[in-house]
Amino acid sequence: MRSADHDPGFPVYRVTAGFDRFRWMGPALAGLIFVFLLAPFAALIFATDWHDFHFAEGDLGAIRTSLLYSMLALIISVLAGTPLAWWLARGQGRGKWFFDALLMLPLLTPPLALGILLSSFYGPYSPVGSLFSHAGIYLTNTAPAFILAQIYGAMPYYIIAARAAFEGVPRELEQISRTLGRNRFQTFWRVTLPLARIGLSAGVALAWVRAMGEFGIVLIVAYFPEGIPVKLWVNLQDIGLSAVYPLLWIFFLVAVPLPLWIGLRARRQTQAMF
Amino acid sequence: MQQPLALDISLQVRGFTVLLGVSGVGKSSLLKAIAGLLPARVSPYGDLMVEQRPIAYLPQGYALFPHLRAWENVAFPLPRSAHRRTDALVLLQRVGLEDLANRFPSELSGGQKQRVALARALARKPQLLLLDEPTSALDMATRDEVLDELVREVHEFGIPVLAVSHDPHLAMLADHMAILRDGRIVQEDTPAEVFARPRHVASARLLGFRNFLSGRVVDSDDESHLQVAGPDWQLQADWQAGLSVGTSVQLALRAEDIYLQDAGAAHFCPNHLSVQVKACRKEGLSMRLYLEGPTSLEMLLPRHQAEAAQITVGNFLKVCVQPRHLQIIR
Repeated sequence: MRSADHDPGFPVYRVTAGFDRFRWMGPALAGLIFVFLLAPFAALIFATDWHDFHFAEGDLGAIRTSLLYSMLALIISVLAGTPLAWWLARGQGRGKWFFDALLMLPLLTPPLALGILLSSFYGPYSPVGSLFSHAGIYLTNTAPAFILAQIYGAMPYYIIAARAAFEGVPRELEQISRTLGRNRFQTFWRVTLPLARIGLSAGVALAWVRAMGEFGIVLIVAYFPEGIPVKLWVNLQDIGLSAVYPLLWIFFLVAVPLPLWIGLRARRQTQAMF
Repeated sequence: MQQPLALDISLQVRGFTVLLGVSGVGKSSLLKAIAGLLPARVSPYGDLMVEQRPIAYLPQGYALFPHLRAWENVAFPLPRSAHRRTDALVLLQRVGLEDLANRFPSELSGGQKQRVALARALARKPQLLLLDEPTSALDMATRDEVLDELVREVHEFGIPVLAVSHDPHLAMLADHMAILRDGRIVQEDTPAEVFARPRHVASARLLGFRNFLSGRVVDSDDESHLQVAGPDWQLQADWQAGLSVGTSVQLALRAEDIYLQDAGAAHFCPNHLSVQVKACRKEGLSMRLYLEGPTSLEMLLPRHQAEAAQITVGNFLKVCVQPRHLQIIR
């Protein structure tokens, strides 16, 4: 901006002056929203009775159930979801858009509704359910049912994330790998997977949180064995709010660090790569 | 195939061969088809899977793997073995980049990327190397240097190369060249021959000719020279067989082959034209003149002449063209 000393004959317009007065509003608003989002988490610290911090009966079992079965559900979701995500990203089939749309269905269905659908499809009186029970697998209120419910909750999210990750890998790099003597499988392993790993990790983290926290589907299909979400609900009903906090802390400690760690690691690697 | 492309091409690859064509005629698709990345009937190696073809392919952006270091990129096609790293370093050394072996592609310049990609392509000892627009991703300052280097390295490795490009500079460095137009090869020969005798106006344009004059043969002096005339001009060209009086022809003339006729010229010039300068533009150190006279002409005046002649718009000039610089296109 020109100063008045140089050009005394002309007025100096300070166009920004009017806006300067409201400059604090942006950060203030952002701060307010930030506080709004995080305030409940701070409340957890104050609400917890630290002098009398003890688990309710069965809490440890719920933690064990959630950790073990979420891990299994995650592994199955990744193993089954990765090929499908790759096909959705790379395949050139004629009806692919149709599968794209269908995949949104489990995502858009409310968990409770999905739970009801699962119980009528896999339940003991359904054809599929009776088929499984002939093989000795009961898909209501059992460990397999619990894992099944978690898979339905988590896998669609993983597939969406993994598909985006695969789409982000330049096709040319895969083609070059082929011309360099690597077949499709080697190319996938050595080029596609490493280049998609950031997005895939995000998908894994997302699926982990979904599987751990799945309540609606699990409530209908596998109330037993009690996982952390159902146990939280039970404690709340049977004992009251105070009995919930210890388990809630454990829930945060096991569910949040993995996504956080993956997110930070991915960010560092992106910076190193590009 | 989503958009079938009509390309029916048979081409000899001798040493460093350049296939010249304007953008969008399917040059890149041709290379991809040869490499097996597009469905097409090609020979040789047409019946092999992509990864089995002994063909190396270097796309425009070089397509280095961003997650691998320079040496790991070069080692990519090498089989797993104890001396894999050593082999990759030897290849990097041959392209003069052993010091940068641990860098990631994002830390390399365009020319360095190209050399890493070249080393990687050659690691498999292919029988044919395909280059897609090897000059497009290079900056002007280092382009010629990198090109010379590339041609030298390619010769050193002794592998036949097919490069596609729209850049006549690259074609000049080739051992053999061809021109692609309308889905077929319209001319194929050594660069010296093709640059001297383009067979079509479009080819001539691609090779850097800027002036095209339509005229008719008016006199054919028994095997010594030809006279070609347009509406307001008559020029003498070198004799060519099979051109009888009355044949309509095109004369192609490079902007840099027109020169100022000075009073004390030692050489004889049979073709001179009186022209007026309509526009001029500095082009680096030389000057490009747009002339109007018996016909419109574009002329590239070297620096020393431009400085001495003090040319401005509106000046009248006498310019000269040697008969051997006029290419006759039927």
